[in-house]
Amino acid sequence: MVPFRESALDFVRAQPDAAGRLAALERFDAVGMPTASEEVWRYAPLDAFDLDRYALATTAPSAPTTSLADALSTVAATTIRLGDGFVLDSGRPVPGVDVTWLPAPAGADLEPYASDAFSLLNAAVTPGVTTITVRSGVEVPGPLVIACGAGETASFPRVHVVLEPGARAVVIEAHEGGRESLVDMVGEYDLGAGAALTLVAYQRLDHTAWHIARTTARLDRDASLSHAVVGLGARYDRSRNDAVMLGSGAENVLRTTFFGSGDQVHDFRTRQYHVAPRTRSTLLSKGAVADEARSVYTGLIEIEHGARRTDARQTNHNLLLSPQAHADSVPNLDIRENDVVCAHASSVGPLDEIQRWYLESRGVPRREAQRLMIRGFFLEMLDALPPAVAELLTADVDAALGALEVAG
Amino acid sequence: MSVLTIQGLRVAVGDREVVRGLDLTMQSGEVHVIMGPNGSGKSTLAHALAGHPGYRITGGTAEIDGVSLLDLSPTDRVRRGLFLALQQPIEVPGVRLADVLRAAGVDPEGLEGRIRVEAERVGLRPDLLSRFMNVDLSGGERKRAEVVQFALLRPAFALFDEVDSGLDVDALGAVARRLAASSQEWGCGVLVITHFSRLLHDLMPTKIHVVRAGQVVTTGGPELAAVLEREGYEPFGAPSSDA
Repeated sequence: MVPFRESALDFVRAQPDAAGRLAALERFDAVGMPTASEEVWRYAPLDAFDLDRYALATTAPSAPTTSLADALSTVAATTIRLGDGFVLDSGRPVPGVDVTWLPAPAGADLEPYASDAFSLLNAAVTPGVTTITVRSGVEVPGPLVIACGAGETASFPRVHVVLEPGARAVVIEAHEGGRESLVDMVGEYDLGAGAALTLVAYQRLDHTAWHIARTTARLDRDASLSHAVVGLGARYDRSRNDAVMLGSGAENVLRTTFFGSGDQVHDFRTRQYHVAPRTRSTLLSKGAVADEARSVYTGLIEIEHGARRTDARQTNHNLLLSPQAHADSVPNLDIRENDVVCAHASSVGPLDEIQRWYLESRGVPRREAQRLMIRGFFLEMLDALPPAVAELLTADVDAALGALEVAG
Repeated sequence: MSVLTIQGLRVAVGDREVVRGLDLTMQSGEVHVIMGPNGSGKSTLAHALAGHPGYRITGGTAEIDGVSLLDLSPTDRVRRGLFLALQQPIEVPGVRLADVLRAAGVDPEGLEGRIRVEAERVGLRPDLLSRFMNVDLSGGERKRAEVVQFALLRPAFALFDEVDSGLDVDALGAVARRLAASSQEWGCGVLVITHFSRLLHDLMPTKIHVVRAGQVVTTGGPELAAVLEREGYEPFGAPSSDA
């Protein structure tokens, strides 16, 4: 197989926007692949990772995985289907919503990713940026589904969603397939003044996949982002979620949940960056690990000087379902303003014994009670969604959790 | 026809023995009331019978038709026929009643409809029961939700711990009538722990047990209620010893 770097360079040279991509690739070279000695990568099984094992996706796949996409399309306003990052179907027209395909980002757009190897690599070799714009004041009547399928490749999907001022939408990113794959995803969400977005990132890739996702939301004045990140699949599932509150009164509610079994690693990273005054963020991370799986939660609340009367809270609950499972929780605060309310709490432990007893005392067998409680984490995430979507994803969660085995 | 037999039951919470040799027998279709002062062991009895992990049985037996409940898991105790409605029902975020009932083996056919009917019988807005269990419900709503669970599980015997707390007079009447009806509908043996003698009007108990210091000190007919109302628990005395 051709070394990855070589096929990346060939691909980049063949693109119309080669110059910007080359700059990104050079930056990627300069940063280099991460190593386990770096703090932010210490939980990743990097010794089992080799970029050269993967073939770069250079064309759209002929037979993409679509079962989740097919199901979601029945309840969606439109379904935009990506295969290995390429647009396979840009969906049906929705009034007030534009779906376009733009060249890869370059130059200044890369600044936020300056030291992030995987995001730089995405900028170099992504097939292009799937861009969805919801026009000013438009309320999209149903969910906009971005269905990302992956084959046995390294793929680099990139999406940019813009809600113009006052727009309202529900966006669901769904990731499936990806046997023996690397899926390196970058998502950017810009919310104009007073815009409201409900965003669900639902990941249930094959358990052999490496999933590395970075999502950044920028919120203007009084914009509101309700964001749920659900991690079920992948061997290594890394999801970084940033919300930058640039306008006063902006609000971010971020909830993440995951379930790990076998030797899965779920590595959730969050950064809630309060730049403007009277901004609010609430984060709830709740996940469970069984077998020899492990989870990491690293959350940063950052409050700029001048972001007065900011209210930022993070809570993290980790469940250990076997003696070999492991969870780490690393909450961080970086506050440069006095007039703020900030709180964080975290816990690591087994399932709540009293809640479990309560379900048992209704006649539910212990194992089933435990399954219901873990499933409950996901149902809480899905509760804010339109009922038809929630029902569909609940069925998918049930399939993914399957015959959940819990020790004790 | 079934019989619930509790003999010499002793229960400890931490190092303290709270139920100290309690005897009680009831048949299918009967309605019994347990009354007694605070701290006399009524709630401890209820939790211990339902296998709550915070309570330790230190002696005695509890059987339905000769099958020991105390050897069974909490799941099997209710499946064998003893249901506990809690004084303070527990919130279980992310878990819905219908899923719990299905997992408990309740017939899924038309379940949502039956939940609705039972909710209405106790004056509870049915949509409250599609929320996560007990989350964002008031105390009184939770108590009625317990009664709905009871009605769908149709146990041979059911214990209602402090059924009156949190309920207004109208709700209390509806709940009491629902419990009384269950003894007709499927011959349920209903055992109600209460402080509130007014409840007895609608409940029409066959027997009243007075519990003090972890034992049944008196058992009598409905006429006991009037005595209790007039004179309190004092005339019934404490158990003579820690036998």
